[in-house]
Amino acid sequence: MKKKMFFVLLSLLIIISPNVFAAGAEETLGDQVNLTMGSWRADDVEAMNNLLDAYKEVAPNVEIEFKPTNPADYNATLRLQLESGTGPDLMYARSYAPGIELYNAGFFANCSDIEGLSNFTDSNKAPWRAPDKNMFAIPFAAVSHGVYYNKDAFEAANVEIPKTWEDFLQVCNKLQANGITPIANGLADEWDIFETFFLGALPNYIGGASERVKYESGEKKLNNDKFIKAFTAMRDVAKYCPKGFESVTYNDSQALFATARAAMFIDGSWSVGTYSDVTFDWGIFAIPAPKGNDTAITFHPDMAITMNRASEHKEEAKAFLSWLCTVEGATTASKYLPAGFFPMINAPINIELKQANEFLALNEGKKTDARFVWPVLLELYSPMDQAVIKVMKKEITPTQAANDIQMAYDKLDL
Amino acid sequence: MENKKINKHLSVEPKSWYWMLYILPALFVYIIFMAYPLIDSLRLSLYTGSNSLNREFIGLNNFKKLFTDDFFSLRYKSAFGHTVIFFLINMIFQNCLGILFAVIITTRTMKLKTFYQTIIFIPTTFAVLVTGYLWKLLLNPVWAGETLSNIGLGFLAQPWLGSKSTALVTVSLISCWQWMGIPTMMFVAALKNIPHDCLEVASIEGANAWQTFIKIKVPLIKPVIGMITILTFVNNFNAFDIIFATETVNGAPNYATDLLGTFFYRVGIAGEHPIAIADPGLGAAVATITFIVLLLGVIPILKFTNGDN
Repeated sequence: MKKKMFFVLLSLLIIISPNVFAAGAEETLGDQVNLTMGSWRADDVEAMNNLLDAYKEVAPNVEIEFKPTNPADYNATLRLQLESGTGPDLMYARSYAPGIELYNAGFFANCSDIEGLSNFTDSNKAPWRAPDKNMFAIPFAAVSHGVYYNKDAFEAANVEIPKTWEDFLQVCNKLQANGITPIANGLADEWDIFETFFLGALPNYIGGASERVKYESGEKKLNNDKFIKAFTAMRDVAKYCPKGFESVTYNDSQALFATARAAMFIDGSWSVGTYSDVTFDWGIFAIPAPKGNDTAITFHPDMAITMNRASEHKEEAKAFLSWLCTVEGATTASKYLPAGFFPMINAPINIELKQANEFLALNEGKKTDARFVWPVLLELYSPMDQAVIKVMKKEITPTQAANDIQMAYDKLDL
Repeated sequence: MENKKINKHLSVEPKSWYWMLYILPALFVYIIFMAYPLIDSLRLSLYTGSNSLNREFIGLNNFKKLFTDDFFSLRYKSAFGHTVIFFLINMIFQNCLGILFAVIITTRTMKLKTFYQTIIFIPTTFAVLVTGYLWKLLLNPVWAGETLSNIGLGFLAQPWLGSKSTALVTVSLISCWQWMGIPTMMFVAALKNIPHDCLEVASIEGANAWQTFIKIKVPLIKPVIGMITILTFVNNFNAFDIIFATETVNGAPNYATDLLGTFFYRVGIAGEHPIAIADPGLGAAVATITFIVLLLGVIPILKFTNGDN
């Protein structure tokens, strides 16, 4: 019987102890408030810690701990934490549908009454506006897309930055004749060719946000001439990609460009800090539009920060978000943000890295838009991605690809 | 009298419930970590919703969706087909080569046995991510092409993992390469256990090597063959990591290497990129069917190879 008692006591102890310890950890010291911040940017721990340290000068009693998860696991992990009531006080919010889902589920707080939100343009706020018109996060950073090019290789082949898509193909031709792979992009990882190249170039063919909505509403067809032309561009460019580009991954592409084995790489601005120690001179130019069209830029709203509706320290969390919405806060943030993530606030902000500035300067005088599928047609991501890949492998024609997309669109219930 | 007393003493039943104490810890662990999750995931397959707040009971609709919904049935059927092919290639190459190597290694006249044994076993000790990464580089014309053409094998510089027609076979063979060591070791152990006199009698009777192998060695190692078949079956129907390491969780290119494991991960855990809203209920339905297939598959294999017992 004694043994039995012992077992009962032991199991009781096991059940109780985590609660005892957890309660201890949550205690705050005097006025000191500890907040946690969830994120998918596992690469940015140092940068964010610097930013959060800088915030301590504004609010000395608030300690924010940055706790990122692997990018691919973020959505799943965050949901798990929120459901079990262990969610962070502050957290990164995805734009559009995935973010709206967590707001509707009651996890993200309503941020509409944060004053500084007026510092953002409507188009920059749209990605984090729920269907009920409330803001569920404050915009934090956007990414851009463009062509990284090796200036030395361009000089060696005696070519200049192309102004039109036709020129671009000519440049590719000359580079190839000069014995260098013109374009580093490959197909193996599937997301990069689509998100950076096809969606990066698409506004050149169809126009900016005002045109995009016409495709979303069905007013314009996804198999019209403009789309066929965009797919044709992808077909034409395939022969300038590395030999065996079907199995070239995103990392391979970066390595090819960094080792000067490829002269250009169509990629997102988030890589702009990657090539700080390469041995050649490099720069950025916009993916050129075909003759007769205006070059437009895919400037994609990427990160926003929101707070937990169940947080015990809402006041402090809100104060932090408000600070990020001030010009002062945004300037501090952009100082510490990794290169290539651009502040979204409607105020001129100086960025240190030369090429990052070049990237941001691409926007000047051009139309910009989010990546085509993100706002409404996210379910077309996969069909479109597969269509681009099949076109580049010459398994289907550009017209077939466009028809496939229109068919996939017809099946959606919007 | 004395005897009887002892007997009586021995036959005294211990307090009837005492034995339960001894299995309690094991039972506890088993229930918490095996039985409960299994039953709960069977239950989950009857629900839908991306989180516990919007979860609702929908009966067998998840299963219906898997087989009739345009999108899901297409992906599910292709994933199922690929898994069967993946398993068959593994079964044939991994185990036939395993048995061949084991026979060679256990041949009495063989030299450097330990050396070969080690070489065959080394890939098994690698992390799958490492194996996947290495083969990705080796099979990539961009990195290996130059070396290959320098040694006159330029025609081998193909995007093996990137083209639809070769990707699945290539990944299967990578998996075979990695795990070959396990069946080889098990067969070596089984073959070493065959009583020497059996083989001696056979050779006195004039049986050649092939006859000895078919008539004596194979029947004696049949239980091991069954064991290995089951292991291959279970491991490959649950395969995920090798595809994750070489072809992304989408089963690139164009879903050509999408297995039940990757499909389950996308549907039930991570959600399809970039929406990334998972439906754990639908995922559980995929897992439930896989569980049933494995259960039904293992029984005949056991029957066939352990028939004599």
